[in-house]
Amino acid sequence: MQPETEVTNCGTSAARWSEVLHELWSAADRAEDVTALAGRLYTVLAEFPGVLTVVGTRWHGGQLRYMRGLRTADSPPALLDTDQEGCAEAAARAPGSGTRVREHDTADLAAGWPEAELLRAVGAKRVVECVFALDAGDWASLVIGLVSAEPADPALSLRLRQASEVVATCNRRIVTQREHERRQVHDAFLAEASLQMDASLDVEETLQRVARLAVPAVAEGCLLHLRQGPRLVPVASAHIAADRQSWLADTASGDAWLTQVLRRSVEGEGGLILSGKALVGGPLGAKAAGVGTSVRVLSVNPLRARGRVLGTLTFLFHHEDASTQMPRFLADLANRAALAIDTSTLYEQRRQHVVSLQRHLLPAELPHSPGLVLSSAYEVADDSLDVGGDFYDAIPGPSGRIALLIGDVCGRGAEAAALTGLARHTLRTLLEDGSPGAHTLVRLNQALHRERARRFVTALVVTLVPEGDGFRAEVANAGHPPPLVRRASSRVERVECGGLLLGVQSSAAYTSVSVDLGPGDSLVLFTDGLTEARARDGRFFEDLLPGAVAREGAGDPRWLAGRLVHAGVDFRVSGEDDVAVLAAFVKEVR
Amino acid sequence: MNEVQQHHQRVDRRRILVVEPSAEDAKTIEQALSRTHPHLRLEFASREDGIAERLLAAPTLPGLVLLNVHLPEHQGHAVLRAIRSHPHLSEVTVVVFTPSTSPTEVDSCYQAGADSYVYKPVNFALFRTALKGAIDYWQDSASRIRGSLDGSCPTPR
Repeated sequence: MQPETEVTNCGTSAARWSEVLHELWSAADRAEDVTALAGRLYTVLAEFPGVLTVVGTRWHGGQLRYMRGLRTADSPPALLDTDQEGCAEAAARAPGSGTRVREHDTADLAAGWPEAELLRAVGAKRVVECVFALDAGDWASLVIGLVSAEPADPALSLRLRQASEVVATCNRRIVTQREHERRQVHDAFLAEASLQMDASLDVEETLQRVARLAVPAVAEGCLLHLRQGPRLVPVASAHIAADRQSWLADTASGDAWLTQVLRRSVEGEGGLILSGKALVGGPLGAKAAGVGTSVRVLSVNPLRARGRVLGTLTFLFHHEDASTQMPRFLADLANRAALAIDTSTLYEQRRQHVVSLQRHLLPAELPHSPGLVLSSAYEVADDSLDVGGDFYDAIPGPSGRIALLIGDVCGRGAEAAALTGLARHTLRTLLEDGSPGAHTLVRLNQALHRERARRFVTALVVTLVPEGDGFRAEVANAGHPPPLVRRASSRVERVECGGLLLGVQSSAAYTSVSVDLGPGDSLVLFTDGLTEARARDGRFFEDLLPGAVAREGAGDPRWLAGRLVHAGVDFRVSGEDDVAVLAAFVKEVR
Repeated sequence: MNEVQQHHQRVDRRRILVVEPSAEDAKTIEQALSRTHPHLRLEFASREDGIAERLLAAPTLPGLVLLNVHLPEHQGHAVLRAIRSHPHLSEVTVVVFTPSTSPTEVDSCYQAGADSYVYKPVNFALFRTALKGAIDYWQDSASRIRGSLDGSCPTPR
């Protein structure tokens, strides 16, 4: 063999190899993928005298991940991927934890050598094989096919070993970097998912958003099922491909095999990751027919909160290695989703309790009153989990009289609810006994002081007494927004009346003012939730209320209160307070 | 050779057209894709009008259009509808991205003909991962189709 210094035209000298090695180390430090080194590495190895080809493989046990060979007949030599099956015998070539270099006669290469065909095709008589360990059970080989059957130059073995060190180190750095990036992405994903989950208390919409967020960042497909009695009902599905969306939704709702898998997860097996043979029999996996054949891995995690399983979170992966690196992440995501569902469900239950309790603090229905059409409406504050303090009532009296009352206890919650009950029933009892409105306010004020109430109360009592073809309204006010009168002509007047808040001063006195209501007139009582409704631009509904009363008063008087509440709710940007309206319309023909 | 076959030959799966009016966001996408898919050729369009006509006038079609659908005055949806209104562009995959996960928005994009919907989060690494997932899916999908057409199963490395 000629000294290496003399092979400058057909080979690489020791000095040149040293430069190339340095260049490879630099490239290895920058490469995003270890295969990026392949082109340069294979070419420079092929420049060694007597080399016909260089073939590289990557394995996981006996499973061949890929094989590529250098076709030196091309100029420049082309690196070609080939499709070859792995085999169990190849596992015998695995290097263990280090690097091993051996030589073989090409004729001796048998099972476990997918490279053999390619090496023989180029006429290689002998091969130098370098096998080296990569990460997570993977290993790789670099095989050089030689023109001569003689033992190879020891320098070639050394170069192969040095090259394998570059590849293994590059691979290790990339694996570490990817793991770091994967953790960063998972953390970012969990943060985003938490934001989505916190943004809404609508469980189904939240889960649809989470599924959409997860695809394709986490997997190609995502399903969420919730428990409804003994059943698992699909509530969200997302697939990376729009034309697979309906297939996925159908699979989520109707596939018996998938239902069984979900049930296994829910009934005790916890997080499942299924691939390969574990997918056989279902609509997913390489052996499946139809759309699901691209799926390689299925993960299922139970949604568990406070010891209860609420449903399942399922992912469909199209790549084998995608799910295996993230079981902890999948469990974390499922836990957060479960917590969000649990919170939303509890919130909804509590809100229903609030609405129900609020209804009990108001009259089930308004009494029938000859000559009048009464209407009322109540809107609970948005997202409120406490009972509000608005109340109203209508109490019929003798000789066609009727008393209307409306009021507001400052604040919300159990104490406000208790005072609301006290205020409404005290006023009602006194009014049923025929007490004048102003007197009932004095008595309620005294009762609040006697009960050492720590909250203020506003109230308005109107006694309507039939007079002629209309009514005389006696209006007594304790710190409440004055009512409005809409005349039959559409003109709107404010009833000027006032008085101290109830619960402020034990000796407070109250008087009443009189207003005549004719046929076609309406009297509108309301709480401050209506006047203080605020639009996005800062305007209050108070300025618009007379106009709304004039407009809405023209419609059917049976729904006047409801129309005014809707007008206020539509106007406001957010509903932080309850709204109550009580209206009385004087019939035109009595 | 029918019209569809002629058109099939004009699709270059290594080309991606990114429709993103914001130069800063376009740069972000370039950074993300040049790292995850260095073999792809990226082209950028900063104006959303005339995209379909521009595609039809070019000698080859990009395999994929990455469209910021969250453009002012629903222009993103208009671009999507314009692309889908041309039968010659039926083989171009359209992946839309938007900062919304609203189910209504997803439905509306699918109805307008989007092939994939990608949520664009604030976090760069997460956005890059999502884009990679979408592009990998459609590249793999195109490989499978080619493999089934010519009897082989090429797997790009």
